[in-house]
Order: sequence, then C-alpha cells, then structure tokens
Amino acid sequence: MLRIDNLTCGYGSFLAMSDLSLTLRPGTITGLLGANGAGKSSTLMCIAGHVAAKAGQVYFGERDVTGLTPTERVRQGIAISPEGRRLFKDLTVEDNLRVGGLIHPAAEFKRDRDRVIDLFPRLGERITSIAGNLSGGEQQMLAIGRALMARPQLMMIDELSLGLMPKVIDLCYRALLTLRDEGMTILLVEQNTDRVMGVADDICVLESGRRVWSGSAAAARNDPTLSAAFLGLH
Amino acid sequence: MLYVELIAQGLVQGCIYAAIALGLTLVYGLLRILHVAHAALFTLGAYIGVLTTNATGSLALAFVAAMLVSGVAGVAVFRLGYQPILNRPPFVALIASIGLYIAAEEIFRIVFGASGLSFVAAPLQSQVPIFGGLQFKQAEIAVMLGTALIIAVLAYLQNRTRIGVACQATVSDPQMAESFGVSLQMVRDINFFVGSALAAFAGVWVGLLNNLVEPTMGSVPAYKALAIIVLGGLGSVQGTLLAALTLGIIESFGTIYLGKVLDRNAIAFAFLIAVLLVRPQGMFASK
Ligand SMILES: Nc1ncnc2c1ncn2[C@@H]1O[C@H](COP(=O)(O)OP(=O)(O)OP(=O)(O)O)[C@@H](O)[C@H]1O
Ligand SMILES: [Mg+2]
Repeated sequence: MLRIDNLTCGYGSFLAMSDLSLTLRPGTITGLLGANGAGKSSTLMCIAGHVAAKAGQVYFGERDVTGLTPTERVRQGIAISPEGRRLFKDLTVEDNLRVGGLIHPAAEFKRDRDRVIDLFPRLGERITSIAGNLSGGEQQMLAIGRALMARPQLMMIDELSLGLMPKVIDLCYRALLTLRDEGMTILLVEQNTDRVMGVADDICVLESGRRVWSGSAAAARNDPTLSAAFLGLH
Repeated sequence: MLYVELIAQGLVQGCIYAAIALGLTLVYGLLRILHVAHAALFTLGAYIGVLTTNATGSLALAFVAAMLVSGVAGVAVFRLGYQPILNRPPFVALIASIGLYIAAEEIFRIVFGASGLSFVAAPLQSQVPIFGGLQFKQAEIAVMLGTALIIAVLAYLQNRTRIGVACQATVSDPQMAESFGVSLQMVRDINFFVGSALAAFAGVWVGLLNNLVEPTMGSVPAYKALAIIVLGGLGSVQGTLLAALTLGIIESFGTIYLGKVLDRNAIAFAFLIAVLLVRPQGMFASK
C-alpha cells in the first residue's frame, strides 16, 4: 500500500531521517515508535509531502509520489493529523471539516461530515464551536475527522494520545480500529508504547534518524532485547 | 442634539476608515505585510470615480468602474510588487510598499495634474432632514448604508461559501490549508482584489464628500489606516471595524472640544498613543 525505499529527509544540512525503508500492509495499523527527536514526525511530514525527501522514494500503491506536492498526495489518498494537530483555530468545527473535504464536490460535504460525526458523535455536539475552544480530546477527534474528510486510504496520526485523558484515548483508539476494519491503512506515531502495542499489527522503531527494528507486533512483544531497550515493556 | 450629530458625523468618517482599513487588515492577516501602498488604490479609485461620473453622469457606474479598476490594480501590486519578495523579511515588503505609494502619488500628479479634479455636477449633495432639525447630506447617509451593506455581504461570503472559509483557513495555517487543496494564489488574489475594491469604494465617497480628488489625498488615510489596524489588534477584522468607527467618533468630538489645540489628525494619533499605552496589544485584541 505504502512503500518507503531508502528515504532520507531533513532540514537544511541536518538529516532528521536517513535511509528508512518501510512497507505498510493495506488495512493494517503500523506503530512508529522512538524517543524524542528520533525523527518520527519528520518521517510523517515527509510522507505527506511537507518535508522534502533528499534521497529515496515513496510509493503509494503503484505510484511514485516522492515528487508530489502535499495537495497532490491528499488527492491520491494520503492524509495526516499532524503533530500539534494544527487545526484552523478560529474556524468552527464544521468549517474545519469543510476545509478537510475541499478536494471533493461541495454536494458531498454533508454525507462525509455525517460519517465523521458517526465516528465521533462528540464532534456533532460541538459542530458550531470554534476549534480553538475545544478540549484536547475534541481537538484530536477534529484533527482526525478533518483528515478523514479527504477520504484517505492512508491515515497518518502523530501523537494521538498526547495530553489526553485515558477515556478519550480509548475512544480514539476504538475509532482507529473501526477505520482499520473498514480497510483503511494507518500509520501511528505514539509515545505511549503500551497503547500502540495493543492495536498495532506492525511496529517500526526509530532511533536518532535511523530504523533500528521493524516487524510484526507479535514479534516485537516476544523480542526481549527490543522490549527492554526500546519499548520499556516487561 | 449636538451629541447625536457628532456621533453621526463620526460614524460617516468611521465607515470610510473602515472601508480603507479592512483591506490592510486582510493583507496583514494573510501575509504579515504592512501594505502602505493600499492608500494609492484608494486614490486611484477616487480618480476613476470622478472621471467616470463626469463622463457618464452615473455615480453607480463610477463605483463599479472604480472598484473593478482598483481591485485589478491591487492584484497587480501583489503579484508584481510583493509576490517576488514574499520570503524576505517583512521590512523589505514594507519599504517596497512605501516606495510604491510615493511613486503612485507622482504618477497621479503627472497623469491627472497637480491641482486635482472636481465633480462637474456632484451628485447626492442635497440635505435630508432626519428629525429635530437634524440634517444630513444624501451622500453621508449613503456612505453609512453602503458600507454596512458591503460589509454584510462580505461577512456572508466569508462565512457561508467554500472560498470564504478557505480564505479564513489560510490566514490560520497556510501550509495546512494548502495541503487540503486551497490555492494560496487564489486566496491572495481574492484578498487583494476585495481589499483594493473596498479602498476604491472609500475613495469615491471621500472625493464626493469633499468634491475634490487630488494626488496626495491618500497620504493621511495611509497612516491613519495603519493606526486603525494596530488599534484593532493587527489582523482582526472585527477589531478593525470597531477601531475605525471609534476613531471616527473620537475625531468628531475632538474637533469640537479640542479643535483649538489639536487638529483632526493629531487627535487621532493622540488617541492611538493613549490606547497603546494602556493596551499595547490594541483595543480589541483577545490575546
Ligand atoms: N522544522 C525543523 N527544522 C529543523 N530541525 C527540525 C525541524 N523539525 C524537527 N527538527 C529536528 O529533527 C529531529 C527529529 O525531529 P522530529 O520532530 O521528527 O522527531 P520526533 O521523533 O517526532 O520527536 P518527538 O517525539 O519529540 O515529537 C530533531 O532533532 C529535531 O530537532
Ligand atoms: Mg514528533
């Protein structure tokens, strides 16, 4: 579904990620783990087209999307809920969703919006609220909802659980499982390792801009070195 | 009765300030540029307005022509003047903008003459009695109604259309907005067009109320509009509208009660300084 070959990206001469290869299987959740500054967000922003690749390729389906702009990638079916969420803070919930769906005809907005509300009923209750006034959990739902409005096949979410209450995290993770069961492919960046291990099919661990481990979640759980060194599991 | 009259006069002036300053706010919100040359589009609009009225006798046509010409000229200023230097520090654009304004004044002088133009038969000049002996020029009433209408239409378009929402999203986070399919070029063009057309709208009214259009008529509005958007909290549309109306009314009272010591423009700036001493973030800024 998404295949990354020897991808290198960074800012100026600084390399945030070097030589990353990774394949996402369709309809699965892949957890991208690593310490602060490991290069997780940079990798996601590079796949979304916001950070330029210095070397390597990104294939989406059969297509090489490495040179495409962020908009073209959204049209191809790649959406992101970025680090910090980056909502349109002065706009209402509904208008944030509207912008998320701009690449589709206006006549289809209501149907797509209602699908997002089915997934996150809370957003329906806050539909006329200003995004900047939402709680952290509601903002995260809106960031995911806004990305869903583009009807992506690949959904990338950065720091899903950061700063959220456990109940809200549960709700967001249930939504992710629903999306995966509908066939969506998900790439998830998390600090909260336990949570990721609970839902992920595959795991990729980054350290200082390099991939240090990748494989199935089951293999990750059973790998004693990995558990101790990177995941802090017992 | 004097108070009512002063408030009404202040509102007339405030509406004109609002129409000028809105364009500046739009540009600042979008690009963080202090667009001084905006005042040249105000003057351009005034010239097109007086020329069209004198040629055709139709004020309505004059407004349409002035707003279209200034709107297109505003887009040209953006594309030729600002677009090439967008990734430089903001003061570069500010200097370019001041240069553009000075050049425009000279061009108006060369093309239309130094002494200015007047309406051959200025329309909307007769007095309309309102109540209790209070009278207004037709043009003054029309300024208030016209500005209110145009702002209501713009507010509607901004909140109820996809393009309007896309413009707001771009102000909030251009990179994200663009990734969801918003064309930054289109949003910027639209904002310059609308802002410049509003300046032209104000220019035609000022020309009509003074029955004079001259090359330097934009210089006072140029810096006063900057003062207004600072008062309004830089980039806030509602703040700008309130600041413009407030300033109009303050000036109107000031010229009666302080007119012996300070002229109209000095009052405006004394007010600006006083407000900024108390609220450095502007009168109506939330943060
Ligand atoms: N815009 C930027 N300009 C320059 N350097 C950056 C930029 N963004 C990130 N970096 C650097 O790139 C490296 C990787 O950052 P990145 O944000 O991708 O890591 P991360 O794994 O997401 O970390 P965190 O868990 O803290 O979010 C860090 O050293 C960071 O300082
Ligand atoms: Mg990060």
